[in-house]
Amino acid sequence: MSKRTDIHRILVIGSGPIIIGQACEFDYSGTQAVKALKEEGYEVILLNPNPATVQTTNGLADHIYMEPLKTEYVEELFQRERPDAILTTMGGQTGLNLAMELSRKGILDKYEVQVIGASIKSINLAEDRERFKEIVEGLGLESPRSVGVHTIQEGIQAKNAIGYPVIIRPSFTLGGFGGSIAHDDDEFMENIARALEISPVHEALVEESLIGWKEFEMEVMRDHKDNAIIVCSIENIDPMGVHTGDSITIAPIQTLDDRAYQNMRDASIAILRAVGVDCGGSNVQFAVNPKDGRMVVIEMNPRVSRSSALASKATGFPIARCSAKLAVGYTLDEVLNEITGKTASCYEPALDYCAVKVPRFELEKFPLPYSALGTQMRSVGEALSLGRTALEALNKAIRASERKLEGLVDLKEAGYDDEEIGKFLHSAHPLRLLAAYTAIVRGTHTLEEINQVTGFDPWFLHQLQRQAKLDARLSQEKLERDLLLEAKRYGMSDKRIGQLAGKSEQEIYALRQQMEIFAVAHHVDTCAGEFEALTPYCYTTYGEADETRPLGEQAVIIIASGPNRIGQGLEFDTCCTLSSLAWRKLGVKTIMVNSNPETVSTDFNTSDRLYIEPLTAEHVKEIMRLEGTRNVIVQLGGQTPLNMADELEAAGANILGTSLDGLDEAGDRERFSALVRRLGLRNPTNRTAHNPREIYEKAKEVGFPVLLRPSFVLGGRGMFIVDDEAGLTDFIEHSGVETSEKKPVLIDQFLEDAFEYDLDAVSDGKSLYIGGIVQHIEAAGIHSGDSAAVFPPYKSRPHVLAQMRQWALLLARELKVKGLMNIQFASKGDDLFIIEVNPRGSRTVPFISKTSGVNLIEAAVRVWHGEDLVGQGLVPAEGAVAEGKPLMGWAIKEAVFSFDRFSNVDPALGPEMRSTGEAIGMGRTFGEAYAKSQASAGNLLPKSGTVVITVNHNDHQTIIPIARDLEKMGFTLLATRGTARALFEAGILCGVVLKTQDGHPNIVDLMRAHKVDLVINTPMGFHARRSDDDIRSMAMRLHIPYTTTTSAARAAVEAIRYEQEGYYTVRELPRGRWEE
Amino acid sequence: MQQTILLLSDGTIFPGTGFGYLEPGVERTPIAEIVFNTSMTGYQEILTDPSYNGQMVLMTYPEIGNYGCEGRFCESGGIKASALVVHDLYDGPVPEGRVSLSAFMEKSGISGIQGVDTRSLTLHLRDHGSQNAMILTYNDAKELELAKERLASFPAITERDLIADVTVAEPIVDPLIDGSRPEHPLCRFALVDFGVKRSIIRELYKRGAAVTLLPSTATKEDVMATGCDALFLSNGPGDPALLRDAVAMVRSLIGAMPVVGICLGHQLITWALGGATVKMKFGHHGGNEPVYDHLAGRTFVTSQNHGFMSDPKSLPAGVKIWYTNANDGSIEGLIDEERKVASVQFHPEASPGPHDASSIFDRFVQMGVAK
Repeated sequence: MSKRTDIHRILVIGSGPIIIGQACEFDYSGTQAVKALKEEGYEVILLNPNPATVQTTNGLADHIYMEPLKTEYVEELFQRERPDAILTTMGGQTGLNLAMELSRKGILDKYEVQVIGASIKSINLAEDRERFKEIVEGLGLESPRSVGVHTIQEGIQAKNAIGYPVIIRPSFTLGGFGGSIAHDDDEFMENIARALEISPVHEALVEESLIGWKEFEMEVMRDHKDNAIIVCSIENIDPMGVHTGDSITIAPIQTLDDRAYQNMRDASIAILRAVGVDCGGSNVQFAVNPKDGRMVVIEMNPRVSRSSALASKATGFPIARCSAKLAVGYTLDEVLNEITGKTASCYEPALDYCAVKVPRFELEKFPLPYSALGTQMRSVGEALSLGRTALEALNKAIRASERKLEGLVDLKEAGYDDEEIGKFLHSAHPLRLLAAYTAIVRGTHTLEEINQVTGFDPWFLHQLQRQAKLDARLSQEKLERDLLLEAKRYGMSDKRIGQLAGKSEQEIYALRQQMEIFAVAHHVDTCAGEFEALTPYCYTTYGEADETRPLGEQAVIIIASGPNRIGQGLEFDTCCTLSSLAWRKLGVKTIMVNSNPETVSTDFNTSDRLYIEPLTAEHVKEIMRLEGTRNVIVQLGGQTPLNMADELEAAGANILGTSLDGLDEAGDRERFSALVRRLGLRNPTNRTAHNPREIYEKAKEVGFPVLLRPSFVLGGRGMFIVDDEAGLTDFIEHSGVETSEKKPVLIDQFLEDAFEYDLDAVSDGKSLYIGGIVQHIEAAGIHSGDSAAVFPPYKSRPHVLAQMRQWALLLARELKVKGLMNIQFASKGDDLFIIEVNPRGSRTVPFISKTSGVNLIEAAVRVWHGEDLVGQGLVPAEGAVAEGKPLMGWAIKEAVFSFDRFSNVDPALGPEMRSTGEAIGMGRTFGEAYAKSQASAGNLLPKSGTVVITVNHNDHQTIIPIARDLEKMGFTLLATRGTARALFEAGILCGVVLKTQDGHPNIVDLMRAHKVDLVINTPMGFHARRSDDDIRSMAMRLHIPYTTTTSAARAAVEAIRYEQEGYYTVRELPRGRWEE
Repeated sequence: MQQTILLLSDGTIFPGTGFGYLEPGVERTPIAEIVFNTSMTGYQEILTDPSYNGQMVLMTYPEIGNYGCEGRFCESGGIKASALVVHDLYDGPVPEGRVSLSAFMEKSGISGIQGVDTRSLTLHLRDHGSQNAMILTYNDAKELELAKERLASFPAITERDLIADVTVAEPIVDPLIDGSRPEHPLCRFALVDFGVKRSIIRELYKRGAAVTLLPSTATKEDVMATGCDALFLSNGPGDPALLRDAVAMVRSLIGAMPVVGICLGHQLITWALGGATVKMKFGHHGGNEPVYDHLAGRTFVTSQNHGFMSDPKSLPAGVKIWYTNANDGSIEGLIDEERKVASVQFHPEASPGPHDASSIFDRFVQMGVAK
């Protein structure tokens, strides 16, 4: 064994908050790395300021630091922990960039910290496009023709040499951020300027366009003895031109003959060798010209990536885990393949199924123009499905992406018109593949034409055609057993078959029972059946022999949360993972069901059994039957599992924890209002409107301002705050929210200037343990998921908090809550209101569990297992309430956004959630905690400089002490006319600056000239004026910190005060009551 | 009603749909040993590999035929496997200049069966071992019985002479490969053809070695008469234990000139060195087999296709193990530097499969040059 004994303490760098292009996959890889290194006896230190992750679970690493990923903090950490080595390949681009910065600043040398995983030299080679190109060409391979440029003038020369269309890529950015395509001079001039601006080194690449070429990826591992393997090959069904993160992909490669495939394989390994990746995994991307087979190398990432997570789940080969072992000196032939338990890791997985990934977009929150997809990633998550054929996997994966599409469907049936479908077909759009399918079904285009227009390979189009033929049979023929079985083998849902055959989903299900057509499970074994698999990782299919070894009636099925989306992301996956671990500790076997390949929950050793399946009732029911258990948990995966709870219960499932009736009583507005009245509590006045006319009536009853929202949504989709009748009309006509008997709209009294709170608790039906109460910095009206949250509450009257505890206990008992419960409160003056109660795991559970030192998930699991809270030692006596508090002074959770991915989206906050992730700051003082939360969230608060203040009339008084403090702290103040007058009256002198509509130079001009360091801008009501939009957009583009509420401005002042003191204290996360 | 099935000699039936050329009549339906191959690409190279003579191939990867077939991918003059078993056969458009797999098989008179539960068939073969099988289209129970009887009385692969069909009839000097042959050869191999893959010759040519192909019955004198620098023993089908004359020929030449071999050639060398081979339960057939190189101290991913292997217990002292399989520890190569013998069980010529071990040809050619 060649394990290194010269290093003992290893620092693993995480990727920080979730943003588009860098998501759960790095929690998965980091978690695997931490476990793998600990297994080898190293002392592992983890740095990641993302409290939602599994990897920051107390006790998982030997020392956990949720501190900013900034060199100043890392240096402090080096001093404190003295690591021997730093593993840089697990934290995505953020991790690599941090490592390079540490190296550049000499900090690594100063503290004698070695880089393991990928050397600084190899990172530089892979990341520097020009040098990488030299390497590629030196190997006799081809690169796209391209030129690296540093000025606009150089860009123009390069563009002239290459010819339109050209691709413009800024250097050193995440997930292709800032990349673009230019077809003409106008586009080129705009895009090249932008690219040079956003590149941290002000460098961009002007490149030959390969749009429409076939696109492939190879996931490669290599060790220091030059052993190298391809773990997985991936073909992008969407051809070049769509970022690979936004492409529908399939593994393994389908359309390359062996020679072409082996050439690509050789090239991948040669590139790793030349770049010097010799102890880990990399991803190499290729394009192939479909006309002549010319193969071009696109890029490589010398680290684990989204693709490597996907490849791990698609093949069963744990790339990150294995990379961590290679990083400490092992070779591939020394690492055991844990799936088979007998073979070496130095071999290439053989698949006997297809694995299809479908990205998940937030088209509702971030509407995309038709040609939206390009070189910059826009999707927020992805779903993976496995099937015995490409079609089966594709149908399942489309369904698993949870976009209300049952699989390959005719878009006309889904409500799109001919014109839209035509546009989808002719542009890079998420629905393009379905548009192609529609064109085939409707016979509007031949396969050749579709191939010409879309670049989809004929092989894939042929698969679509097979589906179209089967669809036709299903709508025309009698549904005999053979036909129904064939449809199931194509991966079609009962619902879809029913739609085509003119039957209901239930009828198809009944027919299947009668004909004995059931799902069977196959193992993902990495070896196509050559060896018996030990680790059970399964998928279902039809019409073949079943390999299930049922876990039996005691086992618990955990339904996870599916593809990441805004409002339902990593936090829920962490809840599911922690629950599986808690159950297993109690000796109960767990079965995880999920479709999200990025996650820890879909790691093969998180549960006793893993099913990669679409999260629909049909699939879960089949798993219940196969595994012989009825126990199902629906409370931990967000809205997705809850949506199927009724159907599962009707099918005999034993839903653990709070009853569905309790869930319904909490979720149904009218029942809930009745409950609140019955208990003598208070909630905002509310009504339900079942048609547009009622909206006017009911809103008047409630009184303006009102909050409008559709029922049963997560993440506040389609929520609006309306001040007057005109606003109601605007909502009805333009919001896109349907108002009907079946889909009523909820109208709530909107509490202006109130504080909001989140309370997370565990109930056993008698007593209540409150993990913690957090107070939001942003005012009511901003979605709780988008607001910074402070633990403990920082501006609250004790009797209001006491009332929260008392109300929480009442509600928990009345709703017979067993397990987790989240309550959102608002306080206005001395009045407390209940906004909503959710008897299930919430987004704040991981944050509170970690910072308070009590694992709320485990407490809930033990309640479900029959142990009450008194028995767990969490409450002193039956019927009592106990409450947790932060283990360390203050903990602040800040929301993180990916607005810079969507130039057309206004970054103002509102009742609809739009953040993609969260960051944490912890400290002894509020200022320290807030400063760190901002640093970790990427908001660079200034220590000196100029602050622009422009606040609405209501805030003129509140802003005065803030402005005064800033003045004292040495900032130059600028304000717009109204605000300046208010400040002047209070004796604060400041410069006056024009609003954007008032001429030049105005605020935006100053910002553009880099003369502004902080913007305090509270919009005029929630319908922000144009002027405010411009300020926020510019601040976002230029990364100027800005706050949109006075409470956030106050917090910023405290944080700046801390930073001015020049400390970068790092504090280890205490373990609290968490056990190993 | 007429049905198509895959019938195993242990009586197990896997239903499916026939494709390619379907032999009418139970009496004429070919019988062959069924083996599974885990390669995800390269079905044409596999089908045309003469080592598969007398065997039918089950592809574990479910989507087969995706990119059609093209002459340059052939490893011999045509399909040598007896039949093909797949899960899902692609029958859509193929790239220009290619034909569909189904058409290619039909033209070659080879039958296939698709829609088979290849996963459980693979597990069955893994657990019960490779065995004889036939793709049967039949009309009634009587025909099925007849087929079962034929299967029961059909000889096992260890009893069949499968070389005669695939070896050259007469010596051939420098056969054309891809329309060329080496112009100024550095050395010459006498290559005894037990069913050689074209890629082996291609790899030798690439390194400037010339080749005289000899029939499998070649004697020591035949070899000497070629004026060669070294002896090369090719891959080929069936049980090496049947090839006593060839073993004797090899034994007589060891020490007289460098002797190298691949696959069956390696097995013959095993015998000639005084060892023996044994039949494996289901063999190694795929493109992902790891082999550990004891000389270099590292591991290669290789292409493999064999149902017999060197018996480690049989090896006499002095014979050095060159490669072992990193999964099951089986012998994958032998070397005797003293007597200039080197052999590998796997396929460094790949085709299909990874090229990682292609440097073995450098060593072989060096042995020929440095004789």
